[in-house]
Amino acid sequence: MLDSLFNIDCGYLEGLVRGFRNGILRQTDYLNLVQCETLDDLKLHLQSTDYGNFLANEPSPLQVSVIDDKLREKLVIEFQHLRNHAVEPLATFMDYITYGYMIDNIVLLITGALHQRPISELMPKCHPLGTFDQIEAINVANTSVELYNAVLVDTPLAEFFGECVSEQDLDELNIEIIRNTLYKAYLESFYNYCKGLGGTTADVMCPILAFEADRRAFIITVNSFGTELTKEDRAKLYPTCGRLYPDGLAALARADDPENVKQVAEFYTEYRALFEGAGNNPGEKTLEDKFFEYEVKLNVNAFMQQFHCGVFYSYLRLKEQECRNVVWIAECIAQKHRAKIDNYIPIL
Amino acid sequence: MASIFRSEEMRLCQLFLSSEASYNCVSELGEIGLVQFRDLNPDINPFQRKFVNEVRRCDEMERILNYLEAQIKEVEIEVLDDGDNPEAPQPREMVNLEATFEKLESELREVNSNANTLDRNFLELTELKQVLESAKLFLSQEADATASLTQNLIGNDDAKNEPQQLSFVAGVIPREKLAMFERMLWRVSRGNAFLRQHDIETELKDPTTGRMVRKSVYLIFFQGEKLRLKVKKICEGCRSTLYPCPDTAADRAEMLAGVKSRLADLNTVLSETSDHRQRVLVASAKHLRSWLIKVRKIKAIYHTLNMFNVDVTNKCLIGEGWVPFADLVKIKEALRLGTEKSGSSVEPILNVMQTPMAPPTYHRTNKFTHGFQNLIDAYGVATYREVNPGLYACATFPFLFAVMFGDVGHGIIMFLAAFYMVINEKKLGPKLANSEIMRMMFGGRYIILLMSLFSMYTGFIYNDFFSKAVNVFGSSWHIGPLAEKAVVEDHETTYMLSPNDRDDYIGYSYPMGLDPMWQISLNRIAFQNSYKMKISIIIGVVHMLFGVALSIFNHAFYRKYVNIYCEFIPQVVFLMSLFGYLCFLVLFKWFNYGDGPEFDDDHGSYCAPSVLITFINMMLNKEDPPPPNCNTVFMFSGQKFFQQVLVIMAILSVPTLLIPKPFILKHQHKKKMLMGPPLTQVLIDDHAAASGSTTSLVTDGNAASESPKGKAASEAGGGGHHGEEEFEFSEVFIHQGIHTIEYVLGSVSHTASYLRLWALSLAHNQLSEVLWMMVLKIGLQSDSSTGAVMLYLIFAAWAFLTVAILVLMEGLSAFLHTLRLHWVEFCSKFYYAEGYIFEPFTFKSILNPEPED
Repeated sequence: MLDSLFNIDCGYLEGLVRGFRNGILRQTDYLNLVQCETLDDLKLHLQSTDYGNFLANEPSPLQVSVIDDKLREKLVIEFQHLRNHAVEPLATFMDYITYGYMIDNIVLLITGALHQRPISELMPKCHPLGTFDQIEAINVANTSVELYNAVLVDTPLAEFFGECVSEQDLDELNIEIIRNTLYKAYLESFYNYCKGLGGTTADVMCPILAFEADRRAFIITVNSFGTELTKEDRAKLYPTCGRLYPDGLAALARADDPENVKQVAEFYTEYRALFEGAGNNPGEKTLEDKFFEYEVKLNVNAFMQQFHCGVFYSYLRLKEQECRNVVWIAECIAQKHRAKIDNYIPIL
Repeated sequence: MASIFRSEEMRLCQLFLSSEASYNCVSELGEIGLVQFRDLNPDINPFQRKFVNEVRRCDEMERILNYLEAQIKEVEIEVLDDGDNPEAPQPREMVNLEATFEKLESELREVNSNANTLDRNFLELTELKQVLESAKLFLSQEADATASLTQNLIGNDDAKNEPQQLSFVAGVIPREKLAMFERMLWRVSRGNAFLRQHDIETELKDPTTGRMVRKSVYLIFFQGEKLRLKVKKICEGCRSTLYPCPDTAADRAEMLAGVKSRLADLNTVLSETSDHRQRVLVASAKHLRSWLIKVRKIKAIYHTLNMFNVDVTNKCLIGEGWVPFADLVKIKEALRLGTEKSGSSVEPILNVMQTPMAPPTYHRTNKFTHGFQNLIDAYGVATYREVNPGLYACATFPFLFAVMFGDVGHGIIMFLAAFYMVINEKKLGPKLANSEIMRMMFGGRYIILLMSLFSMYTGFIYNDFFSKAVNVFGSSWHIGPLAEKAVVEDHETTYMLSPNDRDDYIGYSYPMGLDPMWQISLNRIAFQNSYKMKISIIIGVVHMLFGVALSIFNHAFYRKYVNIYCEFIPQVVFLMSLFGYLCFLVLFKWFNYGDGPEFDDDHGSYCAPSVLITFINMMLNKEDPPPPNCNTVFMFSGQKFFQQVLVIMAILSVPTLLIPKPFILKHQHKKKMLMGPPLTQVLIDDHAAASGSTTSLVTDGNAASESPKGKAASEAGGGGHHGEEEFEFSEVFIHQGIHTIEYVLGSVSHTASYLRLWALSLAHNQLSEVLWMMVLKIGLQSDSSTGAVMLYLIFAAWAFLTVAILVLMEGLSAFLHTLRLHWVEFCSKFYYAEGYIFEPFTFKSILNPEPED
């Protein structure tokens, strides 16, 4: 798409999202937040930020879960406002963003159903961006074929489901495999879509999605140690749109212990840095946090360029990170566990 | 009051309030709204301040009140607005308020939850009723009322087969989900389930959201236990509700009767519940407004108290704030009242402090001057105690507007609108507050009123009444017997009237304004252009000269005498010797030249020199030869020499403006450095010591005796003290250079800019004439009886266009041009506008959340 034509369709929304992005909490806000003694202090301080009065109508002994819900609600309202005003190709792009949440929701519901939890109890836990009409009927399915035929065939996820249709009963391992297969197909499709859009969108989104793919590959590998997942099955779950493809993924498929994973990462400068500082000892950041930090950096960089759809994705991701941060701080305050309160991930 | 000339004198005051009296004192100060508090703890987080708990309690109360308000709005009860202004309650009453609110809230929540349960029951029963009724419809083919519904449809002819039991479920589903539901059912059962559905005609209320939804009843028939499980799961998944439906028609009828009687019972309970809720809400609607005001006042007071410092002994609070000097007595009175109310025995202490900080600008306005002051403040807030252009704008603004908008008829329309707003201002104020455009018009009602009066005056001078002239005093021109017939065109004869002929012209001019004869003359435009152009230049030069003259008051007030000699005088000389002289030429020509027997040849119309050419030649120092039969191109003797002197004076004033001032400033600065620490610094220290030692009620012994000049001197001294380290000669020089260039070029371009007075006036006049000729005239020309109807319609069009285009659009455009003339051409001559506005702590904004302008 020509940059000069971008504004005809998406200029307003881009302006809007950049405005929203300016409302993201800054370092000074975090410094103030971590000083709070109680959750009410936190509420008082958030009032002076872009969040405004979003907690004003909550009765006073505040729960962390309430804060979490309200944060998410605000984000969802913003996102849906953007989505409702979007036209092609941005509309499809934004729909793609929601598919990830759909996958998570489906997996959440099936797992819950396996543990005999009623759907009505699980529904509030689903991410509102990933709901669709048929989602509540998901426990009709006992096998993945049924899942596909009864529920998913009408949803946008149908095209990602091709590989995981089997007559096997759904169990924990199966579900994880379904989740990762779906996610792999989803990521690859999203990647190709962005590439197809071309222009700045591709320049910005492809590195972000490639990182997302690699992160999944690393995490799948690390988490698979000590489970019954075979190496061949594991190799099938790696998304192939990342920088690790093909050599790195082949090496990861052979890995036997975390040390091997680290060796694979050695070959890639950006990942080496992430693995080097990571650890579980106090004072060190976990690998997960390192990944988050890197993701934040990529997403912040997306705002450096104009006339592309990537800002919408990046905004959502940054805002989610911010929600995680606020909830983390709130959690630390509520549990009087101040030692780790600084472990949030600053958004620059 | 003096503050319209300059902003109020302000003082920085320190307040020592005992802890128990502080709340009441601040409350009283909020009622009078004359103190702007400074935040003394800017680096303390909002949640670490002293009264954060009280603020939080207020937040909580506000939340409950918001909840109440939402509930009241939902049932559309009018909130009583009696316009009274309850005082902020005492802190101890806060507990009572809180208790009342909490009780109300819990009562309301309970009622609501009861109502909700009842609603839910009601919904279920209605749905069940619908299901049963629909089932009757679906199954009406049943031949035998007693026969079982699940009987085989095909006759049981093969006895060996197990009787295949057909079972069914019934339920209700939102209509928009039906299609998806049906499709899913078909997929899961592989087409082995049969669905019948029926739309419910009435809308049903969803108890959770309170919205009305449309739903459908469905019946699903299927075989086998496994399928039953799946069907049930799907039904649950699609948020439909399943209802028991007996197999036989008799059972169904019985159940239906039961349901109907239960529904009737429920209806009475429901109406009682809603009555109760209504009563609770009506009762609280009566007090809601005063409660809200009270809570907001408490919150505002604690917010203000949070800006105070706490004394080490924790017994008193120390606040600082700007107050207008003239209102010190009122403030003291408020403090005394506050202390009395709190019953505290400790007197509050009000200290006037000396400070190098720039005080805020406070113009006391009334509803008339307020609008004009706003126009000026929109350009920039006056520097503290600077000459206030707002006062002069009250007269010049409507006048310049009227020069462009001169038409009696349009003025009358505008006057009526403005007059209506002015006499009904009490009634209209709150009504118009909601619409932004109307609020703006309403805020400027006095400006519009004055503008319309002035336009009527200028319209009279231009002799324009809806583009027509009015012959009030009798025209001075008549068509005499000797009038020369000039041209005949379209059967209309044109006459040439000569002022020489006493039959044509009676010898003296029309007493006031333009002669109506001009309206029908052919050279009207040429005459009006020349007249209006010259008038605009004269008005412009006078206006600018006035602006420059105002600057001398600023220089004298701030004791910057250098500026008088090095800025004011050369500026006046420059302006007067060029453009002042131009105006003189115009006036001279008007008075001494003309056509007619009383003028000799040299002052006749033929020999009259062009002002423009004379002025250009003056600048180029050139002399044109006089036209044949004329003696001279000059208007008076010695004019050439006089002009040369003027040009030299103008040229000389430019370097005077540019060069001496920076050197004088440098010299003064050097002298000050030699003298050591500035005297004023010591003075301030003295004051501080004095005010620190006195602990009487108010230490105005020092402050009151101080004259404004002394204050200004210390101000200037303070400024000099600050600038001491930063005096940079090149910077001052460049600044002066810019100033000079701006002024010199500005006087040329600004004079030209005043020509917009002529241009807009011409445009307005021509537009209204076009409207007359092209629209109304058509209606007037027809002589058949249909003409009456036509005129009726055409008048409507003409009237609409007149109001919409000529009054509204042209008025707006003239308004904007006037605004520009004030901001750019007038204010740039003297107005620094580097101040900041005085924003006192007041409860007024709580009473009317919408700002008036």
